[in-house]
Amino acid sequence: MIKFRHFIWTAVASVGIILSSSQSFAQQNDRGDQPGLLADDSVELDPEYQKQMVYYRTTEAPGTIIIATAERHLYLIQGNGRALRYGIGVGRDGFQWQGLLNISRKAEWPDWTPPPEMIARQPYLPRFMAGGPGNPLGARAMYLGTTVYRIHGTNRPDTIGTEVSSGCFRLVNADVTDLYERVPVGTKVIVRQKPDL
Amino acid sequence: MRTFRTGLLVGLAVAVAVGSAAIVYERYDTKTLKRTIQRDAVLCGVNTGLPGFSSPDDKGNWSGFDVDFCRAVAAAIFDDPKKVQYIPLDANERFKELQARKVDILSRNSTWNMSRETSNDLYFPAVSYYDGQGFMIPKARDIDSALALDGSKVCVQEATTTQLNLEDYFRTNNMKYQEIKFGKLDEALRAYESGQCDTFTSDVSQLYALRLRLSKASDHAILPDVISKEPLAPVVRQRDDDWMMIVKWTLYAMINAEELGITSKNIDEALKSKKPDVMRLVGTEGAYGEELGLTKDWAVRIIRHVGNYGEVYERNVGAGSKLDIPRGLNQLWSAGGIQYAPPIR
Repeated sequence: MIKFRHFIWTAVASVGIILSSSQSFAQQNDRGDQPGLLADDSVELDPEYQKQMVYYRTTEAPGTIIIATAERHLYLIQGNGRALRYGIGVGRDGFQWQGLLNISRKAEWPDWTPPPEMIARQPYLPRFMAGGPGNPLGARAMYLGTTVYRIHGTNRPDTIGTEVSSGCFRLVNADVTDLYERVPVGTKVIVRQKPDL
Repeated sequence: MRTFRTGLLVGLAVAVAVGSAAIVYERYDTKTLKRTIQRDAVLCGVNTGLPGFSSPDDKGNWSGFDVDFCRAVAAAIFDDPKKVQYIPLDANERFKELQARKVDILSRNSTWNMSRETSNDLYFPAVSYYDGQGFMIPKARDIDSALALDGSKVCVQEATTTQLNLEDYFRTNNMKYQEIKFGKLDEALRAYESGQCDTFTSDVSQLYALRLRLSKASDHAILPDVISKEPLAPVVRQRDDDWMMIVKWTLYAMINAEELGITSKNIDEALKSKKPDVMRLVGTEGAYGEELGLTKDWAVRIIRHVGNYGEVYERNVGAGSKLDIPRGLNQLWSAGGIQYAPPIR
């Protein structure tokens, strides 16, 4: 049964993701990552990116996460035409993807092991960094399927509302902690992109 | 005698012909586009001043969501969004002025309902903005649903549909409330600010505008619930179908453009697209604009000069404006809202 479930997740992950990571961006620095920097949690987000309850009509079940990358919002569906909306930072051009995944694991103050592709692009990054306030993954992480992508916190609250990451979705630490308490492992995550021309 | 009788008959026939021509003139105006082109400008009836929707700056330049819609129609016709004459109208005169052909389009935050359409010989081609009644609360109350307002003191302007909707909503949901009524909206707002009420109710777009007038706007939140239907739409005269089509499809072109990801910034890229629905909208396939009496690139003109629906929304009333109204009902149907345009094909 576990094997079957694992198979399903792997299938969902491989079928559901359309990845586009073009080489032309390989040289660009991930300006969103500053390992060691302590998060300035007093930064006030633009009203647009502050956590709030909004109208949201959907046929997805309550508890589902819908990420609208173009508008930099993460919606946690509440049912009854409502959703809890958080502001997020998303992948920069070339590091955006869409698909359907599940939260496969949750971690508090996660350690960070930048994947080899990231090290190749940004050789100055540490190979490993223990969890804590200076860690770019921030206070919480929710792992998406078997991919390298996560919904996580940040030590750079000023990057919310921008395109900076290598494909992960970041929230300020207060918001990611709030979201973490509300969603269990297995939560369905839908990632939406703006359409291509 | 016979000639007299013939003369009388001819005279009568002429009188009847002239008379019925006058009636035809009154009831069947099908020349709005022609007159607009001859005049070289769209006559646009707007609100005298409503932040985010239509307001003039100190140089007399108009801007806002409703203003942008007239600019879009002008762009579609003339490839020039500046070819608009703005005619500020108050609520009482707006429909009469449209009927009297003083304006070509009324783009003035007007709610579409049945009697307005049937009793004034008018036509609301499509909904440009879904408004509706909502509630403002102090953030300190920490509730996120109107259903949690049981037992509240509510500030409201009296003798309005707002007051009636409020009564219906609380009764339907078996909740009690205490109504604190005021003759003027501004008095109701002041009373709410001074703490006389737990919540303040009005149309959602108005709540966001009024919140800016509070001394600490960021201490107040607007609940996501919308308890009434106030579909705002442009208005035209009935029976000029060619003009009505132009107004309707201008709005639909803007909504379709957003759905297809076409913006004022990437419009040149869109012209090179090989996706069929993009090609139909930008006129590289088919001749949909010509069917409207315009050019093939009619939608390109709109998007280039004014933008798609989302761009217009964000700039005037959304995150790019002071009002900062979340998209809500006005988000695309595919992204959590109900804005939906029939396809161009």
